[in-house]
Amino acid sequence: MLPHRSRLSVLVFLAPPLLLFGGGVLLPIVQSLVLSFFEWDGITGLDFVGLENYRALLLHDDVFRTAFGNQLVYLVICLLLQVGGGLLVATLLMTITRGREVLKVLYLMPAVISTPAIALLFQRIYSFEPEGLVNTLLGAVGLDALARPWLSDVSTVLTAVSVPEGWRFLGLYTVILYAALLSVPRELEEAASLDGANAWQVFARIRFPHIMPVFVTTLIMATTYALRGFDIPFLLTNGGPGQASELVTTYMYKTAFTSGHYGSASAISVIIVLECLVAVGLILLVLRRKAD
Amino acid sequence: MTSAPLAPPVPAREAAAPALGRRPPARRRRERPTGLRISRIVSRVLIAAVLVMQVYPFLWLLQTSLRDREDFAAANPFSIPTQLTLDNFSRAFEQGHLLRSILNSLIITGGACLLLVVCGMAGAYAIAVLGFRFSGLVRGLFLLGIVVPVQVALVPLFIDYSRIGMLDTHLSVMIPLAGFALPMALYLFLSFYSYIPRELYEAATLDGAGPYRIFARITLPMSWNTVVTVVMVNAIFIWNDFVFANTFILSEELKTIPLGLQDYVGAMGNTDWTATFAAVSITVTPLLLVFLVLNRAMIYGLESGASKG
Repeated sequence: MLPHRSRLSVLVFLAPPLLLFGGGVLLPIVQSLVLSFFEWDGITGLDFVGLENYRALLLHDDVFRTAFGNQLVYLVICLLLQVGGGLLVATLLMTITRGREVLKVLYLMPAVISTPAIALLFQRIYSFEPEGLVNTLLGAVGLDALARPWLSDVSTVLTAVSVPEGWRFLGLYTVILYAALLSVPRELEEAASLDGANAWQVFARIRFPHIMPVFVTTLIMATTYALRGFDIPFLLTNGGPGQASELVTTYMYKTAFTSGHYGSASAISVIIVLECLVAVGLILLVLRRKAD
Repeated sequence: MTSAPLAPPVPAREAAAPALGRRPPARRRRERPTGLRISRIVSRVLIAAVLVMQVYPFLWLLQTSLRDREDFAAANPFSIPTQLTLDNFSRAFEQGHLLRSILNSLIITGGACLLLVVCGMAGAYAIAVLGFRFSGLVRGLFLLGIVVPVQVALVPLFIDYSRIGMLDTHLSVMIPLAGFALPMALYLFLSFYSYIPRELYEAATLDGAGPYRIFARITLPMSWNTVVTVVMVNAIFIWNDFVFANTFILSEELKTIPLGLQDYVGAMGNTDWTATFAAVSITVTPLLLVFLVLNRAMIYGLESGASKG
């Protein structure tokens, strides 16, 4: 603490960030919360309805229920690809001696591409007519029977819109987890392998416990990002066909900006926030307890 | 932990290599090299496979954008184009408003990054250097912003903006973009400021410098590395933002690159893929080049962000 600071100087430095954060983040959160107790079409007056928006969503809205289930599938696929895949690739990187820095950069490349560009790319990768990359590849290995229009087939569309998101940030989590793996003391690993531990044991008993704090952080990042995942499903299928790839986030967007039910949309966005908080709480509860 | 990734870690991996072999070294000494070799080959094949997965779609995009329209429609998508053409690029420029959207993206990214850096620096200075009674509370408040999903701000901001006539402006997109990126930036600055020795400030105070002069003469000049990190990590996400721009920008003239791309498909129908991919290449390439040159700062920011979070 500086001895000669005045109250005014603290205010001068603190005001801009508080204004930006208050106006751009905190105020909207509070407004969403308030608005979720009202029914409002944006034109006529506000109607206080209490918890009715939540009740309708949770008890009577089949689309919401489908969207919620879909979001969970989306979450699982993203976690498998990003955290699972990232951990695997980071571990693999530890086994080679040259080119690791270059590989890290190349793995990160998809994270630099904007979501509309990725959506365009995958629309073509999945396409059936003209034959896209996936179907050509299946044909080449003799699995023609599996070829299909991935984005309009109800049974595959949800996976198809989830994979690009997982793929996009695989490199990001690889880089983070790799940095953590590097910080594991080499002597511990060496001592363990001298004692006869195999590769898996070294990983499970030494490396993984050591990177646990970073692993928890990446898990939280990946989970909250997946729960708010929106762009790629919105751009690729906009929730279709039917509600086969509808996520809570795309449903919220439609409820607000297509149907104009701002109250109900706010309730959905509050639910998304709650989902994130619950997920973070669960992760901390389960993994912290395990670590103790 | 954060400084480790910057120094390329090359030292003798060989020494630890036996750990990767399948068997305990003491008992089956003669088999060790075989097990080692197999696991090495497997791991290299996997590394290469992931590399292809991450890079090939981009290469495919580039070669498609250079391919003749008819050739693309007829041929196997994996095949290498027989002849290259720049036709698609001229069509991409003709039919879209690429330059205009690039300019809009530059304005929004520049403005949001400026807001972010100024607010992040000032906030961290107030919390870490000046200090005040409720600084812990303010810190916690900002922490909240890391977990909160951006969707929660869409509806209220849309309503607020339309009330005060700010809808459909560059600023309407900059504010939430900078606001939601602020917590992470603030923490990067905070962690850096905690390394500046207190004696430096005490000496300056003894010389009669006040809080503004100390900021301008000591803290600010030392912050440039962190500024680069903050800008590199966030510029890419801000440049690529889709959801805020898509919600708050309504007129054609203000569309950013991600929005402009979305229109491409609508404007040309799904038939002119090669021109669409040319447009995608034009918008992706500059960012990739910047990334390939400056990736150290970005990777460093990502890693330290995660280990602090």
